Amino acid sequence: MAVPSSDKAATTSEAKPEQKDAQQQQKKSAAALEEDDEFEDFPVEDWPAEETEAATTTTGGNGTTKHLWEESWDDDDTSDDFSAQLREELKKVEASKRR
Amino acid sequence: MDSLIKEFNAAYAAMKGDQLAETIHPDIERYSHKLRAIWDRGDLRSTTADLNFLFYQDKSHANLSKAEATGWFEIYLTYWKAVGEILAAEGLRGNVKGSWTQVYVKWKELTLLIIRGYSHYEFENWTIPCLYVAGKYLRLYAMRADAEKSSSNDDTAMTGFQDDFDPEAEENKQLEDCARHLNRIFQICLTDRAPLEESRKWGVYYAINLLFKTYFKLNSEPLSKNVLKAISAGRSDIPLIDKFPKSQQVTFKYYEGVLSFLEENYVEAEKHLTMAWLMCHRDAQRNLELILTYLIPCHLLTTHTLPSAQLLEPFPRLQKLFIPLANAIKGADLRAFDHALRDGEDEFIKRRIYLTLERGRDIALRNLLRKVFVAGGFEESKDGAPPVRRTRIPIAEFTAAIKISSGEDIDADEVECLMANMIYKNLMKGYIAHERGFVVLSKNGAFPGTNV
Repeated sequence: MAVPSSDKAATTSEAKPEQKDAQQQQKKSAAALEEDDEFEDFPVEDWPAEETEAATTTTGGNGTTKHLWEESWDDDDTSDDFSAQLREELKKVEASKRR
Repeated sequence: MDSLIKEFNAAYAAMKGDQLAETIHPDIERYSHKLRAIWDRGDLRSTTADLNFLFYQDKSHANLSKAEATGWFEIYLTYWKAVGEILAAEGLRGNVKGSWTQVYVKWKELTLLIIRGYSHYEFENWTIPCLYVAGKYLRLYAMRADAEKSSSNDDTAMTGFQDDFDPEAEENKQLEDCARHLNRIFQICLTDRAPLEESRKWGVYYAINLLFKTYFKLNSEPLSKNVLKAISAGRSDIPLIDKFPKSQQVTFKYYEGVLSFLEENYVEAEKHLTMAWLMCHRDAQRNLELILTYLIPCHLLTTHTLPSAQLLEPFPRLQKLFIPLANAIKGADLRAFDHALRDGEDEFIKRRIYLTLERGRDIALRNLLRKVFVAGGFEESKDGAPPVRRTRIPIAEFTAAIKISSGEDIDADEVECLMANMIYKNLMKGYIAHERGFVVLSKNGAFPGTNV
């Protein structure tokens, strides 16, 4: 996510042809894998509770509960900006009405 | 064959189903050496003679009834033929050219013989892992046969078009055939009337999972629903699902969840998918990713929550899929939401989550209206009472906010309509004073579940 796009472009253009081919090949097989959204067979038939996702979720490696879901709304401090923007827009509306 | 039957005898004497199933395992990567040895040992006549001796004359396996011996004799003879086809299809038999269609035909024969073992030859329930191996590879070979067919069709497609050619039906011809036989495996497990401890009912969930995978590939979810109906409470006395191995439970819960999801029954879907998620093996990244692909849209609609960065952290593909939408919802940015939905359209449609995610726009809109409410500030409080938020809000303010957020003009009637929808969906509490151009919001909990 954080990779600057210029860096990415640089590596691609410098890559040798055969590397490019390999990359493309890899992309292709990854795409083929994505196509297939079938649930995979597990390598083992059964496992103890300690090996479940629930166990990693509640202990999170360091004894804390993993934070999985968060609220969909946000009380950020830009609400002042927003009200300013809103007033601006309302003024515009008023002005256009008067005209 | 000799050593194979020795393994058979050992597994049989110990009544070890998994061990028994290994003796008919066709995995060329795992058992390359063994499969070649079985095939190279002799021709049909000598193999038949070997098996004849081993099952009918050699009396070292005492606990095999005559009927069982007949059943297993046929199974191993057919297994031997199937191994020959597999080696040929893999190109391991010199100049003998094989095909996956031929492998499928032989493996189907073997599968039917195993099913017959239960209906005719007194096979006991501990041997059902043999059914699992038969069913698992039947499906695999059916898909390979179909793929082989379609790639050879591609080569000839240009030269000979026919009017009555139906590509849809042709494409999955063997897999559809396979589904019928998997259904027989399911039925032979389901209808066993023996007491539970020796019942084939313990094979039901494995068989169902094979059927689900097959039906999903064939895009016939209604058939999956029929399976669920057949095992629904009261119709059968199969053991509770939590008595089955976790691999079977998780797979079943995943498909059960996705089926509810596709019926837009998100509460049920969330329940099943959450169970699958919690019980899934922590290292099964791909399966965890698949579960979340449906669980995340469920959560958005049922509890209006978004996945945390921590949850998405191990799944780059899910990040790509959901983060732009989640940010737009959180930021109450309608324009960004529409963009994200359009950018991901192909992928969302392919995963069949588009329509569900589209409904997430309501949450983005709720957040926007909430922002207007918060920006409205407080009424002057009287007599030292705690301040109360301004609850009478002009429609014009909402109109302006939507215009800012979506970047498009919208007229007041349309806004009123959106507001009515929000109230109806209980995302916002209040009423519209249409004549006066106001919305009057509830003093306590105008936007349920969001602290205001």
